Amino acid sequence: MQFPHLLGAFTDALEAGRLTAGGVGRFALELLAVGVLNVVLYGIGQYRNGRLSRDFEYQLRRRLFAHWEQLSTAYFRHRSIGDLLNHAMTDVQAVREALGGGVNILTNAVFLLLSTLVMTFRTVSVKLTLVSMIPIAFIPVFVVWLGPRVRQASRRVQEALSDMADLAEESLTAIRLVKASGSEPVEERRFTERVNEIVRRQVGLYRRSALFQSTIPLMSSLSFFVALLYGGTLAMRHQIPLGAFVAFTLYLTMLTTPLQQIGFVINNFQRASASLARLSALLAEVPEIQDPPHPVVLERVRGEIEIDLPSYTYPDGAVPVLEDIHLHVRAGQTVGIVGRTGAGKTTLVSLLPRVFDPPPGTVRIDGIDVRDLSLATLRGAIAYVPQDGFLFSASIADNLRFGRADATMPALERAAEDAAVLGDIRRFPEGMDTIVGERGVTLSGGQRQRLAIARALLKDAPILVLDDSLSAVDMNTEKRIIARLRELRQGKTTLIIAHRLSAVRHADVIIVLERGRVVERGTHEELVAAGGLYAEMYARQQTGEGEVAG
Amino acid sequence: MKADPGRTEGGEFRSLMRLIPYARPYLWHFVGVVLLVLIFNGSTVLQPYLVKLAIDRDLAGGGHPGHLLFLSLLYVGIVVAGLAANYSQIMLLQSAGQQIIRRIRIDLFTHIERQGMRYFDHNATGRLVTHIANDTETVNQFFTQFFLSMIRDGLSVVMIIIAMFELDVRVAAECMVILPVIALVAVLFRRTLRRAYQTTRTRLSNIVAFLAENLAGMRIIQIFQQEARQAEAFRELADTHRGASVIEYGVSVLFNRSFEMLGNAAVAAVAWAGGLAVLHHAMAFGTLYAFISYIRQFFGPINALTQQWNTLQSSIVSADRISRVFQQAPEITDPAQPIELTAGQVRGHIRFERVSFGYRPGQPVLHDVSFEVKPGWFVGFVGATGAGKSSLMSLLLRFYDPDAGRILLDGVDIRQLRQADLHRFVGWVQQDVNLFSGTIADNIRMFRSEISDAEVRKAAEVVGAAEFIERLPDGYDTFLHGKGANLSMGERQLLAFARVVALNPRVLILDEATANLDSRTEAWVQRGLRAVARERTTLVIAHRLATIRDADQIFVLDHGHIVEQGTHDELLALNGLYADLWAKSGTEYESEAEWKTTPKTLSHPR
Repeated sequence: MQFPHLLGAFTDALEAGRLTAGGVGRFALELLAVGVLNVVLYGIGQYRNGRLSRDFEYQLRRRLFAHWEQLSTAYFRHRSIGDLLNHAMTDVQAVREALGGGVNILTNAVFLLLSTLVMTFRTVSVKLTLVSMIPIAFIPVFVVWLGPRVRQASRRVQEALSDMADLAEESLTAIRLVKASGSEPVEERRFTERVNEIVRRQVGLYRRSALFQSTIPLMSSLSFFVALLYGGTLAMRHQIPLGAFVAFTLYLTMLTTPLQQIGFVINNFQRASASLARLSALLAEVPEIQDPPHPVVLERVRGEIEIDLPSYTYPDGAVPVLEDIHLHVRAGQTVGIVGRTGAGKTTLVSLLPRVFDPPPGTVRIDGIDVRDLSLATLRGAIAYVPQDGFLFSASIADNLRFGRADATMPALERAAEDAAVLGDIRRFPEGMDTIVGERGVTLSGGQRQRLAIARALLKDAPILVLDDSLSAVDMNTEKRIIARLRELRQGKTTLIIAHRLSAVRHADVIIVLERGRVVERGTHEELVAAGGLYAEMYARQQTGEGEVAG
Repeated sequence: MKADPGRTEGGEFRSLMRLIPYARPYLWHFVGVVLLVLIFNGSTVLQPYLVKLAIDRDLAGGGHPGHLLFLSLLYVGIVVAGLAANYSQIMLLQSAGQQIIRRIRIDLFTHIERQGMRYFDHNATGRLVTHIANDTETVNQFFTQFFLSMIRDGLSVVMIIIAMFELDVRVAAECMVILPVIALVAVLFRRTLRRAYQTTRTRLSNIVAFLAENLAGMRIIQIFQQEARQAEAFRELADTHRGASVIEYGVSVLFNRSFEMLGNAAVAAVAWAGGLAVLHHAMAFGTLYAFISYIRQFFGPINALTQQWNTLQSSIVSADRISRVFQQAPEITDPAQPIELTAGQVRGHIRFERVSFGYRPGQPVLHDVSFEVKPGWFVGFVGATGAGKSSLMSLLLRFYDPDAGRILLDGVDIRQLRQADLHRFVGWVQQDVNLFSGTIADNIRMFRSEISDAEVRKAAEVVGAAEFIERLPDGYDTFLHGKGANLSMGERQLLAFARVVALNPRVLILDEATANLDSRTEAWVQRGLRAVARERTTLVIAHRLATIRDADQIFVLDHGHIVEQGTHDELLALNGLYADLWAKSGTEYESEAEWKTTPKTLSHPR
């Protein structure tokens, strides 16, 4: 604010011929000093503010992640990851921007506005000021009204763009089918439709934003028109001095920017408050599966499992997926679980580590309800190999250390050897340090499964669960792994879900699930002799209907 | 802009020039834009002049109220005209830009779809989509943003310079010193700013990737009790992002403030030098005042111009990528004089004559393969992974052309046919069924308007898919998402069968799915398969030997040779490779999906 004022004083003094050469120099120095000081102070303020808001962003993201780590699988089941990511990225950023930029601009704008008003009130007539300001007073209103519409139009453009990209990706992924069915012209037509839609929406967006860009200068020039006509008349009648008129017109132009910014900030705050509301709703979500109030901590878990489950329905489901399951596994036994896709095998074993919560008292380990055990005891006692062999984008060693954080390299290698994957690892140029996943080596399904098995073996828990974890492993390797497991799991409880019956053949007991119920149970020999569903599956896998290498 | 085309990193200016023909139809749009910019700039210059007139003529003494009213109205008129010109300029330029990328996109997509299969073997889909979606957008910025800035900001700078020289040649010449300084500061900062921005972006996308993965694998984290470890990993990522973000913000604050400081310093310098000149009556006061405001006006357009340097560079890189796609001529093209066959004429006789083929030179996959399939036959192909079964089928579909030998359909070399015709006669059911985002009906008719709803339903009924489709909430109008997550493996197979029945080719290639199906679904699929094969020449790549037990002919492939052929019983009697496979068929091997991700080496069945 001082800079124009000083410049004004300088021109006044110069005009009046009151200056000497030294005076000019002093004014110039003063101008420089004020300019530098203003810039430096403002810059420091801006930087500190920006830093603070970024600290906030960092803390908020960490809190979100920590919160998510406590929420159960039931929670993630009916939420899309894209949605959650949106919270962590877009919402957090919206809040940060309002906090940092918003506050900065707002203070700046309000200060500029107030001081300009004070200046004009003091030097020019109050009436002139108020009358001239009528058009520009609408600027923030206009910004608040049109701003969200521009944003919405731009969102629609983004949607159209991603529609087009999705179609292109889909079509190019299926390029063999497209070519084989001679569908190129059809695909081109579909693509052209998407592209035309983009053009249509883009033009709509430009129409709105061009309107936006034109209306604000229009309003400020309307104000200027009033000032020119009304102020000019006043000046002609000598009711205000000419200098005041000139100053006023200058101040008027200075008002446009802060008024516009106030509109932007209001929009920012609106967006941020919506984001903040979403974020607090998210953080208010109570973790469904937690330690009980008085958790039982066991020194050593033997691995005895008792299941007496009248029925189990998913928290968000209507129909029971498991019914009437009664199973007693003595510590050290190996149990095979077979059945068709969707029979409830994975659900059943998910109840053990409380991935899903069983009804109270229905699932017990070493005689204690899993819901009464401390989560640390419970989950520490179970090693789990998921169906898809889920691995993280990290080195193989880091992935294996999920099982035991302090495992030494020889221990990692031993586990990998047990899971018949050490040879594969050694063939990678970087061995155990090979990064897997997105930015590293892509592993085959079989390699992923075997690494997941090694990870679970490293944990060396009293209970091991293999959830169809050998489906992508070839027969010979499967045999080797199963044989090794039998040695390693001597005296420890092991549950094996499998499609290929060869993986459960040696189990102490095999249960056959069908539509959520146990329909058969017994050893391999007993079940084959019984001539039921198991025997049928076995026969099919033995005769010609098995799979030949493609 | 002193563009040095030879030295721009990652691309050549020439590539951008190659896309200029796309802009040519809109030449008059661009001329219009230049005129409109002139009108707008003129209107902004006129506004202060009108105020000056009002002050000098009316306000300073003895003016006429009517004249003041006239000037005020003229002022509003000029503003409105200027804004109207600006609005039209935006619409004109942006719609031209949109039409340009629309054309580039469509041409790009069409060009890519026309490529032979070898092209897709070497180019990842994701990258191709990026060319279509993002690179075109970046090139558009050259036609709109860059062009506009050159005209508008360039014009502003020129106009300011002219005005300054009009006022006082000597002082103006002295003021020119500041031009390179402003440009230099801007260019230097832009480079740093851009780097800082990219670092922040990269780290932000690391956060996104980490979160996406960890949210998907939260179950694993919880079961293995690695919450603390992953939280720490996340903290590190978020921390490095924060660091980069603070630096980026700091640089941008420093840049903006430095610019402002430079402006203030320039004003102070002019005030000092000009003030002295005014004192010595070497300069009028009004001139000094004008100089001071002109100096301040310099910064905006010059800053904007330097920003365009980045736009130009990224446009060049993108244009280069697009040009490279366009330069790749499709490997497989239609003949100049194709032989005309109509669907009614085709009987479905297929003959391979001494066909050899390899994906890479020197690595043949098929050696001198000859065989014949009579119209209406049902034949099976068996052999180990990599034996060449899929390659045979790819050749019949002309995904690739053979290195030697020829393939005849009803006695005509398939290279003599239009690809569109060939693909009308020869259909294909793939192993992993591709689904498109759209309704079930659209997926069956492959979005062809000429296939009616009734035909779609009939096709679904023939293969036995109608049963499950009608059970879906919206029946045939049920919307499928691209990855087809809402359908089971068996249902997708049936859908693919219905699709091929709707398209009704004379010859059918069927790549049997390896997926584990439960026995009920298995029965459905087998029934569907038989329905599809009826009244067609059918070639099946079999994974379950039971499927081809009753085949008219079975070909056994090994290392790219047909080693045995005959009916099931004949082959069993031969007691060779087929008999061996049959005996072992209770045994299973690593799945096809796994094989695809590992290097393609030939392996014997064990």
